[in-house]
Amino acid sequence: MVVPWVGIPLGDLLKRFEPGSDAKFVRFKTLLDPKQMPGQRRAVLRWPYVEGLTIAEAMHPLTLMVVGVYGKELPNQNGAPLRLIVPWKYGFKGIKSIVEIEFTNRQPRTSWEDSAPREYGFYANVNPEVDHPRWSQARERRIGAGLFAEKQETLMFNGYADEVAELYTGLDLRKNY
Amino acid sequence: MTASSFRVLKIGLFLVCLLPLVKLSMETFGVSGMSLGANPVEELIHRFGIWGLNFLLITLAVTPLRELTGKSGLLRFRRMLGLFAFFYVLMHFLVYVGLDQRFDFSHILEDIVERPYITIGFTALLLLVPLAVTSTNAMMKRLGRRWRKLHRLVYLIGILGVWHFYWQVKLDTLEALVYAIILASLLGYRIWRKYERTSHS
Repeated sequence: MVVPWVGIPLGDLLKRFEPGSDAKFVRFKTLLDPKQMPGQRRAVLRWPYVEGLTIAEAMHPLTLMVVGVYGKELPNQNGAPLRLIVPWKYGFKGIKSIVEIEFTNRQPRTSWEDSAPREYGFYANVNPEVDHPRWSQARERRIGAGLFAEKQETLMFNGYADEVAELYTGLDLRKNY
Repeated sequence: MTASSFRVLKIGLFLVCLLPLVKLSMETFGVSGMSLGANPVEELIHRFGIWGLNFLLITLAVTPLRELTGKSGLLRFRRMLGLFAFFYVLMHFLVYVGLDQRFDFSHILEDIVERPYITIGFTALLLLVPLAVTSTNAMMKRLGRRWRKLHRLVYLIGILGVWHFYWQVKLDTLEALVYAIILASLLGYRIWRKYERTSHS
């Protein structure tokens, strides 16, 4: 489904901190608080949750720092007070309840890469041609479309190829999944 | 147990076994605000699969329970429990075929061939078919000793079913591991009993 997020381009926020030329990546961290977030009481992933983007991805105008949804403040379960939305990537890149943003010169090690590197890579761009090792990612059913909705072909970069494909020229997307 | 009390118990059990189907139907049709959530097709597939596994394990628990409690009458309910396992597994498959894949048989075939967790799940379903077909009294009589041999397939089906569950989990394997432990206990009990019987004779 198309979600009406409320937010600002992440790049506008990051530019205020004047990243230098060695800022090649951005690393994000979620709040670690098992009292508020009971899911963290079990070490399913190594907490706190960590995500990352290349600086070019972070500066892209489609990358949003989100504070609300449907015209209202972000509910806790959707990642209040600050969460990331990268519309051409799989959902797990959209880290929630961010408490730390760091410029770095090395590719951050993300939580999912840490747990299942063969299945969830750093880039995680929506790509119908590259299967997850255990299932296909070529078709999808839109959330909210109901019980009888037909699956549709998944689009390269989730339909944002015209806007973002240039970020990956020369990169083997099969290897950098 | 008198014949009439057995009958009443059997009907009662039949109705209890239908409860998961009733609840899923109510959620599907939104009865009194119940719902399958944001991804109803996935939820239906998952829940039918879980109930298939539940009934498989319950069926496999009949023999240990009967031997441990000495209530040999339990055996008379086993066929119905096994057929409910087959029913829920079949629903699991039919929702996948009809609602998830919309009868797109080329995609279904691709899934069965290329996705190992679907391959083993489908194998388990295929193996359940001869057990369901030969569950009648007439077939039991006709097959004689071979009936028991054939129905030992249920052990393999249990293993394939739990493996299928484990293999499709994204990361949090706890629930699948609980099923694996229960299955291992039920099968382990039989190995232990067999060992005991042979060592005492």
